[in-house]
Amino acid sequence: MNPILTHVFRFIVFSLAQTFILNKLDLGFGAQVFLLPLYLFLLPFETNVLVLMAIAFGLGISVDVLSNTMGLNASSLVFFAFLRPLVFNLFRPRDGYDSLKTPTIKDMGTSWFYAAFVTLLGAYLLWYFTLEFFRLSEILLILRNILSSLLITLVFVTIIQLFFLKRGV
Amino acid sequence: MQNLFAFLRRFRVFIFFLFLQLVCLFIYVQFMNYPRSVYLSSANQISGSFHSFENTLTEQLHLQETNRKLQYENIQLRKRVFSDAYKVQRGQFTIDDTAFLQRYTYTPCVVVNSTLNKRDNYFTVDVGYQQGIKKGMGVITPNGILGVVFKSGKHFSLVKSVLSQDINTDVSIGNKGIHGILKWGGKHAKFGTITGVSNDLVVKKWSKVKTLGASGIFPKGIVIGSVYKIKRVENQALWDITIKYSEDYRSLQVAYIVNALFLKETQALERSIPLEPEL
Repeated sequence: MNPILTHVFRFIVFSLAQTFILNKLDLGFGAQVFLLPLYLFLLPFETNVLVLMAIAFGLGISVDVLSNTMGLNASSLVFFAFLRPLVFNLFRPRDGYDSLKTPTIKDMGTSWFYAAFVTLLGAYLLWYFTLEFFRLSEILLILRNILSSLLITLVFVTIIQLFFLKRGV
Repeated sequence: MQNLFAFLRRFRVFIFFLFLQLVCLFIYVQFMNYPRSVYLSSANQISGSFHSFENTLTEQLHLQETNRKLQYENIQLRKRVFSDAYKVQRGQFTIDDTAFLQRYTYTPCVVVNSTLNKRDNYFTVDVGYQQGIKKGMGVITPNGILGVVFKSGKHFSLVKSVLSQDINTDVSIGNKGIHGILKWGGKHAKFGTITGVSNDLVVKKWSKVKTLGASGIFPKGIVIGSVYKIKRVENQALWDITIKYSEDYRSLQVAYIVNALFLKETQALERSIPLEPEL
């Protein structure tokens, strides 16, 4: 499929899945599944960070409108987009990124993917839950939510990587 | 000036980031104080229709929980509801006319209990002698007949139904006045049998079976079913007729007790028939 079409398709599917399925799941322990960071993560390596942040803003606002959390998703996704080039630099392979490859387990290997993704997702979740609770007194609750959401999101992301992204969709 | 442009170019990523964050946080703080106040919330038309569509998909998943809640609520309400109390005064449908004397009155009742799989099946209805129900009265249903009152208590009565071996109701088949006696084979609640029809009479399949009204218990001409199967009885000049009931007794809910007002008169007349021929 045309790469741009792929990303547009993913944009719609991911935001609908996040709003209408994943946000409705009640998993206990404050765990939520966050699919939208994966969308930003999977955009091509050479994407300009300004474009990335603009996409993040658009994605976040569209999900916020649908799920009544005005600005919360948008803010944390913009933060995620801002951090992405920095973290990618941190985990840069010896001979740089091949622009023909995509940031998936299949192309970049398990260890690279999990190192980069967990770092970014941890930062994202920290931003998200801090903003959501907005109180320092509930720091333990925030940490619990971050940890449980991190684990459940990684499980979901792994499943998606293994079963859905193979066919280029 | 050049320094400023150089600064902007150098930190353009961070400045753009700050700008977007400011916008987001502004919206966030705005809406935190006034949740769902204006546009861009789920009161908004588009996302509202999305959510109602989603609700139609997911409401099935909550049905059990909803049912349990409703059941609980029903119990609470039922305690206060009037219809749960026993109704003493039943409306009887009567006609006032000088040209036509009323021959039957009907008392509506509700079937509260029934069996279907025994050899003789009795239905319990919620009227008794307090409402003037006596043994031997006929019971009809919206689509047929149910049987004869077998015993009546103060508030409830037991009806011996047509799903009994010896209900022996007199019926007629078709328009030509072929008479027979209704019995029940005991196999299925949908089918009954008619005996006593001579096999030189022509009985057509699917012809209507009606009450004859000879015993005076039932009004004449109530359709109770149609002929389903006709078989010869061996060594006897009789048909063995299976009929399909028009009433589904397995889901019967309401019935009417028939009070035949002229029954005493006809019975008294018929009692005067001499057993031995006079003279």
